[in-house]
Amino acid sequence: MKDEQKTKQQLVAELAGMRQRVAKLEELETERKRMEEVLRESEAKYSTLVENSRDGIVILQGGVMKFVNTASLEIVGYTPEELLGIDFLKMVTPEDREMVMRRYADRMAGKEVPSIYEMALIRKDGITVPVEVNATFINYEGRPADLVVIRDITERKRAEEELRRSNQELEHFAYIASHDLQEPLRMVSSYTQLLAQRYKDKLDADADEFIHYVEDGVSRMRALINGLLVYSRVGTSGAAFELTDCEAAFDCALTNLQVAVDGSGAVITHHPLPVVMADASQLTQVFQNLIGNAIKFCSQELPRIHVAAEPRGNEWLFSIRDNGIGIDPQYHDRIFDMSQRLHSRTEYPGSGVGLAICDKVVKRHGGRIWVESQTGKGATFYFTIPIKGDRYL
Amino acid sequence: MSGQTMAKPIEILLVEDNPGDVRLTREAFKEGKVLNNLSVVEDGAEAMAFLRQQGKYADVPRPDLILLDLNLPKKDGREVLPEIKGDTNLKRIPVVILTTSKAEQDIVKTYNLHANCYVTKPVDLEQFISVVRSVQHFWLSVVKLPPE
Repeated sequence: MKDEQKTKQQLVAELAGMRQRVAKLEELETERKRMEEVLRESEAKYSTLVENSRDGIVILQGGVMKFVNTASLEIVGYTPEELLGIDFLKMVTPEDREMVMRRYADRMAGKEVPSIYEMALIRKDGITVPVEVNATFINYEGRPADLVVIRDITERKRAEEELRRSNQELEHFAYIASHDLQEPLRMVSSYTQLLAQRYKDKLDADADEFIHYVEDGVSRMRALINGLLVYSRVGTSGAAFELTDCEAAFDCALTNLQVAVDGSGAVITHHPLPVVMADASQLTQVFQNLIGNAIKFCSQELPRIHVAAEPRGNEWLFSIRDNGIGIDPQYHDRIFDMSQRLHSRTEYPGSGVGLAICDKVVKRHGGRIWVESQTGKGATFYFTIPIKGDRYL
Repeated sequence: MSGQTMAKPIEILLVEDNPGDVRLTREAFKEGKVLNNLSVVEDGAEAMAFLRQQGKYADVPRPDLILLDLNLPKKDGREVLPEIKGDTNLKRIPVVILTTSKAEQDIVKTYNLHANCYVTKPVDLEQFISVVRSVQHFWLSVVKLPPE
């Protein structure tokens, strides 16, 4: 009777409501399917990304491998069955295990550790592979895990090694060449001097002029060979870094430059200089070359040179400021190259090796060197030395 | 004292393969104040034959001072030195190493082999002559050499 009580109008309205709900359900179902599709696509996309990645991707839980991608298998030469459930440390070379564990513990303790580091893994065939590892915390299947991205750096290491070897060979060659050239040079130089001593003014004017040019050439060659020798020894014969008082290195440089300082009347001032981790004799060489240049390239005025150092971030910034002739900005990079000269030898004598030596020494110490200058407005040479020098040992 | 009448020239043996250096050393010695007689051999083997008065060296005088280059043909100065210092008849003769090598290992090694002093040949002529003269002055005038 109740139904009968409902009017036709009510029934129509109810039906419409039911239709609407069905439509809504259908809509939801479509949306759910679409979401599933999206999820599947996303999973497929990530799985394709992960599987096609050239970097090895490994997920660890409690140090045990829970997931490994194809690339990681290729790097170490194992099958997934051989790796899953195994402690990741077992793949690390014994030498690196302690470092890996320490890093892991530090990271767990919330300490700041580099997320990218190099280590070596042992392949199934026993060969070690140098890798670069990037580790991050993630959630995996609802539990905390480590995502480890592993990059095979065999090629990079080989290239680095090759470069190192080739540089070493070049340095050795430069050393041998400059060392062995000294011997014949000594003969030319000694006999020209003997000739000049005994026969000057006894031959004719031409002969005196010729002798003069030979002597001049010899003295330039000597400077160049000595510079090359020093340059080639920066890398190979450098001493270990130790706490070095820059004041002492600066004083020593001034002592070595005493003739030039006295001759030019240069006024050299300095701010207190710090103690750094360095090769003391090489640091002296840098001060000596830079102050020596500042004296040499002086203008009409009396040379005024100021040496200072200030901390900048994790580096000491040293500066050597002069009131000399200055350097056109277009040459600022070139002056640090070997045998690059901006002036004729008659204007300013020199071998052109001095700044190249400074560049090499500063780089060996993990720093940089550059100049700020305008023609005619003096120059300031800057170089940096890391405050924590031990990081660069 | 006036030893003019009795003056017997000081005998020096120069072991040097570079004729240019031999001549330079001669030039430096020529103007020296001490009457000296410079003999020259060009390699280590000849040096040992000279010192032991073997073969063509049967009649040579025993040197009072030896100037020894390190880089020599046949027998190197680094081999000659221990032979001299290991020979009871020769070990008292002072040996001055006169070389272009500034290598630390050469300096240490030769002193370990009982070289009496180590001198690097200066590149500059004036300095070379002055060094040779100092060597001459020190060893032939200042110090008292052992009797034969």
